[in-house]
Amino acid sequence: MSAAASTAPVLQVEALRAYYKISSFGLDREVRAVDDVTFHVNANEIYGLAGESSCGKTTLIRTIAAAIKPPLRVVGGSVVFNFAGRPVDMQKADDETVAAVRWKHLSYIMQGSMSVLNPVRRVERAFVDFAFRHIGKRKPEFLDIVRAHLQRLDLNPDILAAYPHQLSGGMRQRVAIALATVCRPEFIIADEPTTALDVIVQNSVLAMIRDVQKEIGSSLIFVTHDLAVHANLCHRLGIMYAGRLVEEGPTAEIFKAPKHPYTTHLVASLPRIGNTAPKKGLEGTPPSLAAPPPGCRFHPRCPLAMDICRTQNPPMVEVLPGRRVACFAVTPPGRAA
Amino acid sequence: MRVVLDLFRYNREFAIGVVLLGFVVIFASLSFFSPYPPNDSFVVPPDVPPSWAYPLGTTSRGQDVFWLLTFAIRNTLLFGFAVALLSRILSLVIGLVAGYAGGIVDRILMSLNDTFIVIPLFPILVLFYFVMRDKMSWGLLALAMSCLGWAYDARLIRSIAMSLRTREFTETSIFSGMSMRQILTQEHLPYVMPIVFSTLMNNMNWSIGLEVTLSVLGFTDINTPTIGVLIYWANQHTALVAGVWWWILFPVLLVVIAFVGLFLLAVSMNEHIDPRSRLNRVTG
Amino acid sequence: MAPLLEVADVQRTYALGSILSRHRLRAVDGVSFTMAADRPEIFTVVGESGSGKTTLARMILNMVAPTAGAIRFRGTDLRQIRSGKERLAFMRQVQPIFQNPFEAFNPLKKLDRYLFMTARNIAGLTAVGEIEDATDRALRNVGLSLAEIRGRYPHELSGGQLQRIAIARALISRPALIVADEPVSMVDASLRMSIVNLLRQLRDEMGVSIIYITHDLATAYYISDRIIIMRKGQVVESGEARAVLDNPQHPYSIRLKQAVLSPDAAGSAGRLLAESATAAET
Ligand SMILES: Nc1ncnc2c1ncn2[C@@H]1O[C@H](COP(=O)(O)OP(=O)(O)OP(=O)(O)O)[C@@H](O)[C@H]1O
Ligand SMILES: Nc1ncnc2c1ncn2[C@@H]1O[C@H](COP(=O)(O)OP(=O)(O)OP(=O)(O)O)[C@@H](O)[C@H]1O
Ligand code: SF4
Ligand SMILES: [Mg+2]
Ligand SMILES: [Mg+2]
Repeated sequence: MSAAASTAPVLQVEALRAYYKISSFGLDREVRAVDDVTFHVNANEIYGLAGESSCGKTTLIRTIAAAIKPPLRVVGGSVVFNFAGRPVDMQKADDETVAAVRWKHLSYIMQGSMSVLNPVRRVERAFVDFAFRHIGKRKPEFLDIVRAHLQRLDLNPDILAAYPHQLSGGMRQRVAIALATVCRPEFIIADEPTTALDVIVQNSVLAMIRDVQKEIGSSLIFVTHDLAVHANLCHRLGIMYAGRLVEEGPTAEIFKAPKHPYTTHLVASLPRIGNTAPKKGLEGTPPSLAAPPPGCRFHPRCPLAMDICRTQNPPMVEVLPGRRVACFAVTPPGRAA
Repeated sequence: MRVVLDLFRYNREFAIGVVLLGFVVIFASLSFFSPYPPNDSFVVPPDVPPSWAYPLGTTSRGQDVFWLLTFAIRNTLLFGFAVALLSRILSLVIGLVAGYAGGIVDRILMSLNDTFIVIPLFPILVLFYFVMRDKMSWGLLALAMSCLGWAYDARLIRSIAMSLRTREFTETSIFSGMSMRQILTQEHLPYVMPIVFSTLMNNMNWSIGLEVTLSVLGFTDINTPTIGVLIYWANQHTALVAGVWWWILFPVLLVVIAFVGLFLLAVSMNEHIDPRSRLNRVTG
Repeated sequence: MAPLLEVADVQRTYALGSILSRHRLRAVDGVSFTMAADRPEIFTVVGESGSGKTTLARMILNMVAPTAGAIRFRGTDLRQIRSGKERLAFMRQVQPIFQNPFEAFNPLKKLDRYLFMTARNIAGLTAVGEIEDATDRALRNVGLSLAEIRGRYPHELSGGQLQRIAIARALISRPALIVADEPVSMVDASLRMSIVNLLRQLRDEMGVSIIYITHDLATAYYISDRIIIMRKGQVVESGEARAVLDNPQHPYSIRLKQAVLSPDAAGSAGRLLAESATAAET
């Protein structure tokens, strides 16, 4: 690995804005699902993303993976991948380069991936369609690789002969993960890949993903609502709220000392076995991304909200090395400038 | 509507198909302005080659080929459309019900389906003609052919319906109290419509072709002018031998244009509304 | 009085494999339990992926018939429900919430249609005003409102929003039993708590019994009254939820509990995973 590749981040996202622009029946609506997000992912790193439902995680990930379809549009900012010291700006590069990056380096496990399998074709066909060309082995060897891979995911290789509807939700989800990892990609983007798995299977799936990641030093963006998974898997964690990144830092520190009031709530709301103390969901309604509240988007629900929060948007400030927070209560407005 | 416009602009096959078919349809609609009823003969001098007065010439029976052709193509198109429509309805109902209901219903319908797929079409239709003889009419033939033309596409529709049946939203529909009819017509129908449209064109082609063949051989009602009947009469008068080539050439040309137009439409629509890309779930 | 739900030694088998190598798979293998009519409860089903939880739920919803054994709802064997009317009456009492919110609604159709349909067909409302009121009330129970949902398509909403709409739909007819198959697996931790609290509130205030299928042992511990743990189609352990989870007896239950990741382990990035992976292999 060249020196450049080991120091420069593999993925640099800069001030990214991606909106859904909907115009129907003379009504124009703009959903600001990703608004001014900046972060990077290093080589050999697992970056976790968490946040409220519908805060724009999937949209962010879709933009990064260049899986952009109308009405989603990138309004500003950049996504730059850097594989082997060759930076590619996904917004500026031509279609061919983008397709090459997607095909060769990226692997994207979509949310709800258990329903992407074609219901009238056997599972084996999905593997052949998707990975056969990529692996470049002869058919029997290829199938052996697939079988071995399925076994690592606690799946019986017999399921290759099954139709998707004959499998349980968790089995289908693992098939989708197997599809995405069988080619050992350099950059894995996983959107809630383990939601339908029991904890034992989940752990072996995570271990497999981690092994693949370690083996070739790939990077991984991992989205999940299960903070316990984040705690055990990710090196760094980004917390999103209403289209913005509000806090970022090493996983352990975020769990130990959350700084942003939303993160604080999130960490405190985790239920644990052996603990039945009433836990509450967040008060108030999630903000509409079509008409987000002015100022800090969290202020209508924030226990620490101040006057300035209602008018000004708190900037993302590095409060400790590698630790960024966007909150006026953490960084008083005077110092933020 | 936007889709149609876009298709027209960006898809050459579609544009050509629309132009060709449009030409044929306009030609057919001219029949409403015809100065002569279609079945009257010897209204014009016979065997006149194409000229200013008779742009496509006249037949040996004293009919103006131009005006006769407008009737013939109209009837042929209508025939094709009727068969296609009827057989589409049959294949939709049978395909959707079989795929949704599954089990014994599916097995019965599909064995019926298999019977129709293997039946040799042509002999059956000829037989049908000999049974009906004088009672044979345009409508009856259309009915007979629809009954023979649904089987293959019903199988296609059934396979889609089966996969729709396994999807969770079908279950949400059931637990929202929708009846089977509602689920089939409101939830599942939109998924098979693209297929219905593209097979509609193919089926029209198929039925027009078959009708022309049958008519040319005289196995249909020869008193309703269609393209095939026209050619039949031309053959009866040994038009080619007599040098009345225009009596044959123009009908053949017109039906070929209609054929190509329909074919191009079917192909381009197939490509555009590829059911797979439409069926692909819009990911959240 | 007949119990609300009686599941008596049910079994469901599926034929699997190609024509050449056919074998039978016992998806559910002899499961029994009873839920009382006068005491609403949250009954949790946890277990291995592929252990037959969804199959069991589908049998209770009368979508799949048991191969053997019987399921009785308020004393009526589900096999006796035949006519359309009986079916609707049954659905008024028993409603599902499915696993995958992205699949729960037809992507080509507007969402409100399912809510209105349920209000009309299942809850039996006729006036437009009543239907909209009932729908709006149900949506407000889950933190949404009709104004937000009206005219929108599934792809315009996130997974969490869709799941809340699915729950709202199930609530419209005020059922006695809700079968929820992993209803919170796709929503964030905070929303997860509010949905789980919502389920509890449904039990306490509306007297709805809930069969709660989940992989999340922490929420199971938090809300459930009773629990069964399934593996390979069989119940390996059952009982009062907290007792079972605090002190599991069966080896599988013990392993399951040990595998639960704790958020407190933060910072050990990967270490715990590596351990549990080796543990799983031995
Ligand atoms: N195709 C679309 N058209 C319009 N709005 C959309 C579309 N897709 C998503 N949205 C909106 O964008 C916002 C962000 O959605 P997104 O799916 O990115 O959320 P998420 O963080 O992944 O949520 P979840 O955790 O529930 O999956 C939501 O408010 C959603 O309603
Ligand atoms: N229609 C079917 N045909 C054949 N086999 C089936 C069918 N439905 C389910 N199965 C099998 O039955 C078993 C149990 O499946 P089920 O969906 O009930 O599991 P589950 O406990 O819900 O799992 P998960 O937690 O992953 O959702 C699986 O092995 C599955 O392959
Ligand atoms: S900026 Fe203000 S409103 Fe926003 S999180 Fe901080 S304290 Fe709360
Ligand atoms: Mg998402
Ligand atoms: Mg399941």
